[in-house]
Amino acid sequence: MRSPRKTGGAVIALAAASMLLAACSAGGGGGGGDGATTGTLDFYTDKAAWEPDFDELNETSEADVDITLNTTGYSDANQYDAFIKQSFRTQKSPGLFTWHTGSSLTELVDEGLIAETTDIWSKAIDEGWATEDLRETYTVDGKQYCVPMNIAYWVMYYNKNIFAEQGIAVPTTWEELDAAATTLKSAGITPYYQTSTLFTFQWFQQLVAGTDPDLYNALATGEAKFTDPEVVDIMNVWLEEQEAGWFSDAGSTVDPAVGLKQGDYAMINFGSFFNGSLDGAGMVSGEDYGMFVIPAVNPDLEQTPVAVESGPLCVAESSKQRDLGLAYSAWWMSADAQTAWNAARGDVAFNPKAEVADPMLAELGTTVADGQHLLFTRFFEAFPTPIVTVAIEQFGAFNANPSDPVPFLETIQAEADKYWADQE
Amino acid sequence: MAVLQTPERERTARGLTEPAGGPARRKTPYRWSALGFISPGVLLVAVLLYLPLLWTTFLSFTEYNGLGDPDWVGFDNYGDMFDDPAFLGSLGNTLLWVVGTLLIPVGIGLGIALLTWNLAGGVWLRLPFLIPYALSGIGVGLIWSFILSSNGALDQALAAFGITDTPRWLVDAPLNTVVMIVAAAWQGVGVNALLFTIGLQSIPKEPLEAARVDGARGFRLFGSILWPMLRPLTAVVVGLSIVASLKTFDIVQGMTKGGPGRASETLALTMYKETFVNSDYGLGSAIAVFLTIVTLLAAILYLREQLSKKHEL
Repeated sequence: MRSPRKTGGAVIALAAASMLLAACSAGGGGGGGDGATTGTLDFYTDKAAWEPDFDELNETSEADVDITLNTTGYSDANQYDAFIKQSFRTQKSPGLFTWHTGSSLTELVDEGLIAETTDIWSKAIDEGWATEDLRETYTVDGKQYCVPMNIAYWVMYYNKNIFAEQGIAVPTTWEELDAAATTLKSAGITPYYQTSTLFTFQWFQQLVAGTDPDLYNALATGEAKFTDPEVVDIMNVWLEEQEAGWFSDAGSTVDPAVGLKQGDYAMINFGSFFNGSLDGAGMVSGEDYGMFVIPAVNPDLEQTPVAVESGPLCVAESSKQRDLGLAYSAWWMSADAQTAWNAARGDVAFNPKAEVADPMLAELGTTVADGQHLLFTRFFEAFPTPIVTVAIEQFGAFNANPSDPVPFLETIQAEADKYWADQE
Repeated sequence: MAVLQTPERERTARGLTEPAGGPARRKTPYRWSALGFISPGVLLVAVLLYLPLLWTTFLSFTEYNGLGDPDWVGFDNYGDMFDDPAFLGSLGNTLLWVVGTLLIPVGIGLGIALLTWNLAGGVWLRLPFLIPYALSGIGVGLIWSFILSSNGALDQALAAFGITDTPRWLVDAPLNTVVMIVAAAWQGVGVNALLFTIGLQSIPKEPLEAARVDGARGFRLFGSILWPMLRPLTAVVVGLSIVASLKTFDIVQGMTKGGPGRASETLALTMYKETFVNSDYGLGSAIAVFLTIVTLLAAILYLREQLSKKHEL
């Protein structure tokens, strides 16, 4: 006969297991939304530093659509991603959250976790609030998901004082850019910033897309290999520049904005959101620093490729605040909302009808839309996440110890082979 | 266990008699109330420790990206783990951490304890070494990253003396792992010194005085008397050090994030990266299970071996 002690233990264990299973399985499926389209919307983001900007926008959103954002900012992107993924297993999946485009977005859509925004996009296109190109970034299997939180073009920032002192004009061709780097180096100034962590991919994306945009797209879709001779040649161009001493020490932990200000290097290839960091470092837009579109490596290209990134605002399909999140998303696309956001954040606008506060950013927006430029998706979003992760590590290692690029490319290709084999 | 002893046993032991039927009425409520007291603790341990452990072990046999349901893949993750050069590199770095933290913080801690043990005001000499122990690992990482990064505080200080051809402390491997062990030693040496001092103070005075009367001094006194009598404490300090170094994470994350590339990763960092950066929860869990088994085996085997030597306890 079973003893009371054993029975009691079994009851406790069973209760614990039931609680855990209940917690794990709760809210796993089914459409959410309690119908409310006004009120306070819980918003989660990995852009913790932007929290004051989102708060500043509340005044406008309350007046326009009676919605207030209650923002929770995470400063660790990995921790944030894990939190969002786990939240889909509970009944507290977020009404609004920031995410990533590319394979990360497709991953969530494939699991049916994201609310569709096709209607919102249709209206935005009809109103002239967004371009067809941008809509494509948010399209999975013919339907749209999420709305663009922001858009950024990856350009070259430069220290205007250094350029003026060295008599360097803004380069308009790759040759002129090389000449500027040579002049700077001979004057004892490091031309370019680089690092060995996270933002290690930009020079690769610039060199590949600037040489052959089709090759860049073929790499992103697995049709070309990182070990192909064309890619090795491009990497050798990078290696020559490294050996010429054109890049800063990858082991430095000096804030890149501070480094540009104090002249540790003259140029940084970064997204157009970098204005905020430079302003924070005490530099004045248009006076202390400027920006230019990086010329194509290949002068025969008809259009100059410019990397573009766009971060989405998404609504969880199973969230209790699904309808509220979608109402906010619809408002977010409007010219009024984007004008207010631009005033709060200071960024280029994805909505052509929004007013851009910073004249330099406004000019950049006009420049890339002039038909002479080819927008291509930033490396981070264009390539599948596992390949991006390995590539960022390998480019970081290459930046730290520039040498024969083939072993680095082979490591990236090994991960790419594994990834594409899994997709078959 | 005393708490589960029944009232009738207590009374019998005391030679008391019970009225008929009395014990039978009280037996069950007593046991249930005991269960009531221990169940919150049992529940907490089960929910917070054992179930996650079981869940992680289950995940290690699956392919899972954190969304949807895990797919069972058997031992594939374990095979992939040992095929991955990054994992093997991180295993090597972790072993370097084990050896390094035994040599530096434990060794220096013992030295400081021996030198300050019988000194008047020795506690004030040990105190500065203890202060860094109050800092978090990630804080120590950030401080030392500021010091050791290229053109950082150390390079600038050396440049003031005309030394400009300095190594790239956090870039070149395995130098970056070695300097991070030094940073960890800076934090951990004080607590080791404190533990060894407690051990030295607990040694009976008689054998020490007898050894001194026989003329034992310095290394002879240390080798013949102090070291053998410190063995139980050394076993604990070394055991703790091995366990701590096997799970090294925060200081590496704070200083190099495992880079450049994956040159300075430890097993704990590889586990974190595979799970939360690559969203490969299966592989991350396999590394976690491997790390748990290695840590438990190292701790159990070492401590059993050391602490079972009764004649020296």
